[in-house]
Amino acid sequence: MANLKKMTTGAKIRAGFLALALILPALPFATDYFLHTVILIYLYMVLALGLNVVPGFNGLLDLGYVGFYGIGAYTAGLLTVHFGLSFWMIVPLAFLNGALWGVLLGAPTLRLTGDYFAIVTFGFSELVVLFLTNEIWLTRGPLGLPGIEPVSLDLSLFGGPRWDFIGEVPYYYLAIAMVLVTVFVMHRIQDSRLGRAWFAIRDDEVAAVSCGINLLTYKVFAFGISAAFGAMGGSFFARWMTFLSPDMFKFWESFLVLCMIVLGGMGNIWGVMVGAVVLVSLSEILREVLPLLGLPVEVRFLAFGLIMVLMMRYRPAGLLPIPAVAAQMRSGRVKRKKVKAAVGLSK
Amino acid sequence: MTILMDIRHLSKNFGGLQALKNISFEINRNEIIGLIGPNGAGKTTLFNCVAGVEKPSSGEIIFDNGERPVSIGGKKPEKVTSLGIARTFQNIRLFDNMTVLDNVKIGRHCRTKSTFLGAVARNRKQREEEESIRDHACQCLEFVGLKGLNDEIASSLAYGNQRRLEIARALATEPMLLMLDEPAAGMNPQESRNLMDLIRRIRDKGITVLLIEHDMKVVMGVCDRVVVINHGEWLTAGAPAAVRNDPGVIEAYLGTGAANAA
Repeated sequence: MANLKKMTTGAKIRAGFLALALILPALPFATDYFLHTVILIYLYMVLALGLNVVPGFNGLLDLGYVGFYGIGAYTAGLLTVHFGLSFWMIVPLAFLNGALWGVLLGAPTLRLTGDYFAIVTFGFSELVVLFLTNEIWLTRGPLGLPGIEPVSLDLSLFGGPRWDFIGEVPYYYLAIAMVLVTVFVMHRIQDSRLGRAWFAIRDDEVAAVSCGINLLTYKVFAFGISAAFGAMGGSFFARWMTFLSPDMFKFWESFLVLCMIVLGGMGNIWGVMVGAVVLVSLSEILREVLPLLGLPVEVRFLAFGLIMVLMMRYRPAGLLPIPAVAAQMRSGRVKRKKVKAAVGLSK
Repeated sequence: MTILMDIRHLSKNFGGLQALKNISFEINRNEIIGLIGPNGAGKTTLFNCVAGVEKPSSGEIIFDNGERPVSIGGKKPEKVTSLGIARTFQNIRLFDNMTVLDNVKIGRHCRTKSTFLGAVARNRKQREEEESIRDHACQCLEFVGLKGLNDEIASSLAYGNQRRLEIARALATEPMLLMLDEPAAGMNPQESRNLMDLIRRIRDKGITVLLIEHDMKVVMGVCDRVVVINHGEWLTAGAPAAVRNDPGVIEAYLGTGAANAA
């Protein structure tokens, strides 16, 4: 901790949150239900960070993210059930399978612009759900895929013990590791030639081309990476839940993840994570509170809608906007139109 | 003097509208050449054909970047940029949400290589490349006179500085030919004078400049040679003074009869 003084305020805050996250299971109020919810938050952080690449970094609206999440989950589920592969093998395989489908979908469709592209992605996620529901020989359809083995760490090959992940605590730390890897990758990309090319595409495609950036290549790349992280989240979900069914991957999930990044601040890694925290915990709180008020649980979707409307009115760039937009807002020079362009939904 | 670019019988149709009709001219190495004409003459269309944004309907554009001459008519814009042709835009197109330095760094895109793995692993090769990108970008910013503004957000710059930033970004691609589309538009006389100085310094670096401009003070003051087009047709070419007194040019700008009056 010698260089604690050298850290910026932001870095200190982040280190504090990480420390809190690491000791959380040891705290007295950390029941299984509580930990389960926090794991869910971490899972959605990974998903939101993955999706963020497309609308946040590239300014393309993607409404079909859950399709890749589903592909990853079923990849993991089927490989476990049929081949008994270990989780540590499955994660890279699911990652690659997600990237593959991202590229397969992206390469022909990323020539479309704006809303047209959004519609294609929406259609894709519906196709995935239909496939999972109807190809009963492979996925058992609506019956779901039960009995997926939980994660285990088998070190017997090296003379070590075999450790099965039972209860929420091991998954809790596994989820933290997954978030850290994702944040690390996103953070590095953000400050690289690749990230700059993406931001250039987001801000002005014509100027990006004139700087020698091949639009299609970089968009397909972004889509592949985004899909890969979605699939990685899915593979964790499969081994954690040990049960999968097609209606876990309905359009609603894509929308929820998109809400997280809009709420948190599109394009900002930390903002996106805040968005995941807010929406997942709110969803759990409302699940408890609404029945007490005599309302059906589904009313929470209305609450999310209300939040989005209020956001658009009062903080159109999200809770933690990207630095440029934040600077413009501070200096009071921001125009509504500008912010929209920044978050990339106006194209 | 050797020829850098040879435009031969270039035509461009948009449906029934012929925006460029059989235009031919040459651009010599290391000269500042002006392209003028009344509004709608086809200047920007010609720019777009050279830059690869529009595909010429017929004709050829031969570019000799020192290795061997290549035909660039119909090549993709990103390819044209990597061959050594950079441009700025009539309406400023900056990356508004990025810093000044990052804007110029993007100009280095076509001269650098690292991708996903380099970005994540951040190995030595990638770090060195990143270093060189930064150094080069800083040099470009200093050259156009934006030193010290590295961390400003591009859209917060004053208008004249935004023009300069766009030029710095274009210079970062290491062009042999720099095409400026109305760089003096909206500038006050002092800013225009600074711009003329900048254009001359760019030429002194060994970069050929093709300039579209309406501000005749700038055109006459800085260009070695001027090409005039009107209604998509080649009208005349020559030294600025000769072109200024050409009856055909005066007619194109001011209408019939004006030549006699002048």
